[in-house]
Amino acid sequence: MMWLSGGFVFRRGTSAYHRLDPRVKLLLSALMFVTTLLVRAVYELAIVLTFMIAVAALATVLRRVARTMAFTALFSAFIFALNLVFTRNLETSLLYAVRFVAIVVSTSLFFITTSPDELEQVMKTFRLPRDVIFAFVTAVRFIPVMMLDTIQIMDAQKSRGLELERGNLLRRVRNMIPVLIPLVVNSVVRSGELAEAMESRAYGAVPRPTSLVEYRTSLTDKAVAVAAVLVFAAAAYSFYFVLPTQLP
Amino acid sequence: MIELKDVTFVHQNGVKALDAVSLRIESGETVAIVGENGAGKTTLVKHVTGLLKPSSGTVLVDGQDTRGTSTAALSRKVGVAFQNPDHQLFSESVEEEMAFALRNFGFSPELVENRVAWGLEMFGLEEYRKSSPLVLSGGEKKRLTLACILAWDPEVVILDEPTVGQDSIQKEKLTGTIRMLRSAGKTVVVVSHDIEFLWPVQPRVVVMKAGRIVGDGPASTLMLHGSLLDSARVAQPQLVSFYLALHRRPNQPFVDPLEARRWLEGESAGQ
Amino acid sequence: MAEILEINDLSFRYPDSPRQAVASFDLTVPGGEIVVLAGPSGCGKSTLLRAVNGLIPHMYSGDYQGDVKVDGVSVKDATMRELAQKVGFLFQNPENQIFMFTVERDIAFGLENLGIARAEMRERVDEAMRLLGIGDLALRAPHELSDGQKQRVALAGVLAMRPRLVILDEPTSLLDPKTAAELVGLVAKLREELGTTFLVVEHRLDLLVQVADRIVVMNEGRKVLEGPPGEVLFGDEAEAYGVAVPAVTQVQKMLARDGVLLRRGLMTPAELAAEVGGRP
Repeated sequence: MMWLSGGFVFRRGTSAYHRLDPRVKLLLSALMFVTTLLVRAVYELAIVLTFMIAVAALATVLRRVARTMAFTALFSAFIFALNLVFTRNLETSLLYAVRFVAIVVSTSLFFITTSPDELEQVMKTFRLPRDVIFAFVTAVRFIPVMMLDTIQIMDAQKSRGLELERGNLLRRVRNMIPVLIPLVVNSVVRSGELAEAMESRAYGAVPRPTSLVEYRTSLTDKAVAVAAVLVFAAAAYSFYFVLPTQLP
Repeated sequence: MIELKDVTFVHQNGVKALDAVSLRIESGETVAIVGENGAGKTTLVKHVTGLLKPSSGTVLVDGQDTRGTSTAALSRKVGVAFQNPDHQLFSESVEEEMAFALRNFGFSPELVENRVAWGLEMFGLEEYRKSSPLVLSGGEKKRLTLACILAWDPEVVILDEPTVGQDSIQKEKLTGTIRMLRSAGKTVVVVSHDIEFLWPVQPRVVVMKAGRIVGDGPASTLMLHGSLLDSARVAQPQLVSFYLALHRRPNQPFVDPLEARRWLEGESAGQ
Repeated sequence: MAEILEINDLSFRYPDSPRQAVASFDLTVPGGEIVVLAGPSGCGKSTLLRAVNGLIPHMYSGDYQGDVKVDGVSVKDATMRELAQKVGFLFQNPENQIFMFTVERDIAFGLENLGIARAEMRERVDEAMRLLGIGDLALRAPHELSDGQKQRVALAGVLAMRPRLVILDEPTSLLDPKTAAELVGLVAKLREELGTTFLVVEHRLDLLVQVADRIVVMNEGRKVLEGPPGEVLFGDEAEAYGVAVPAVTQVQKMLARDGVLLRRGLMTPAELAAEVGGRP
């Protein structure tokens, strides 16, 4: 849970990266994502990963990204082992394992620097249905609230003798039931209350709601986008056609 | 029974929720912890059952350091009724709900039967024995959570904001329940920003502000300090304000309206 | 039309329920009043509130008899779009009525839904923030705020719609006494400045009675008491219906009953002490 929250929950930031248009941030992450899929050698992946770490540093989110990488590395080790068993190829297994980490980092970079409001903006650009966008944004807005609820529920149940820290795996999973049920019930109740509030503030009154805030791409945004595409093209070309897949 | 020695607690984000708090609560005392929202009252309570461990200082329950003990073990002695019953009800039936904690604490099946029956009767929930706890009304849910706690008979009962959302009839019942617990020899701690309903019980009052204890004494004397209460954003009970505004008054403030009326009668009769 | 709210013989029963949630309820409220609705848990207050703002019958169906008119418009016949601009509803839990990730965007939520132009939205959002003193919270995220702040944000969102009638459902339940007093002061101020009518459901009456024009008490779906606060609290039946009569008012009642106190009207502790202490 810590991994999820550290890697994918938005937190406010003031770096230039944070201030980019969300669509540009999406483009950057998408390009990084695709690049990791294109490379065929581990040392190339290392270059890409280093680049991503540099971007993370620029965006002042290095510590969080580093922690995400550390946690993801645990899963990665599992992928590495599995691949090794089936392909018996050290190089390929390592590739898949590191690739997984790189994929997670590239998506994480987007989500931790993009606020739910900006996510909404991106979704509007892609012309997703209004109700879908609204449901998504509201859900994201309640993530921190639900995390707090979970802690409070765990506190309440621990105070009734529920052991959440000890016991074998089966027992610990079963002990989550007294935590999950109130969480789910509260979510359902919450949805009902939100529905009442929505109705009371005329949700759905007009087919095209207006917007208080306007998002416009600045020159910087456009410049960054163009630069990113060029760098990507150059990198893709190099990795795919120029550089050897095996180092001598 | 419960002792906090110079406890400081700092949140992950650097906010100091408790600042060098020292407090000693003896067995059998009735204590009200008051203060505005955010003063640290709930944080203090969470330290008693080990839900939070101090950043520095020690918390002792019955001589045991909370650092070395699990919350489950501490809860056997200290029952905490949290503010929101919807954060704990989950069982298929009310009787199952009541049995939950008892089973966790290792009560034998016969004893569980006994205690559940006792609790249901005590709190007027017998008719809901087989019903789902989720369909009960707000007031009934609060009674149920309290019944669940008393079923395992802890020595200490802590109530966290028990009057939130309750109507006046329910509040009166609550005052009665606190009196009952006191006469049963239990240590009762009530965390509340509403002091009015506790005034008739005349508890010891601990006033908190910004993570510190700024006042500690019997209700009859502490609640007279208007400026202290003001700075801690705690409302002075009406009868105390009335008492203080009188030209001539008895030694102690009135505990309930009837006492005030009788005294006034005595005054005018004596003229 | 001076009457902002007219409830005529309203009865409502939920589909699966054997009993009436509201039964033969009548109420007339002139504009600019602060009316307190009280009664024991389960008396039908929540149902009544929802019949006023239109959630009943538009969102909740059931056996509906009688009529509710808000600002001359029949609730049954109007759309939620119309009603949302006449009646505002501040729900009990501030958290579950804030949708957006930024305060000012949430305040604009209702206006966006109505398709109001950006310039006017900006003006109304700023006005609402000014009225509630939360201008400095404009770009904050709701989950970072205290309960009192969240409540102000939610109320700002309601006021931005410029309703003439605002419903407050147990607004002080989560607040400490000082913050609760501030809220009550705010309600009185809004009534003065905007002429808004307030219908407030509350258990904690000691603060509200100082600004309320009327108390209406419900029990089992019916109206059982109605009148100025002094009158209702002084009556014999108040306690029976779970209406919290403040401690000092209880003393005042006893004195009045014994013929000792001649002055009428609710008194604060200090006032009563002066009245009584000054006796020869």
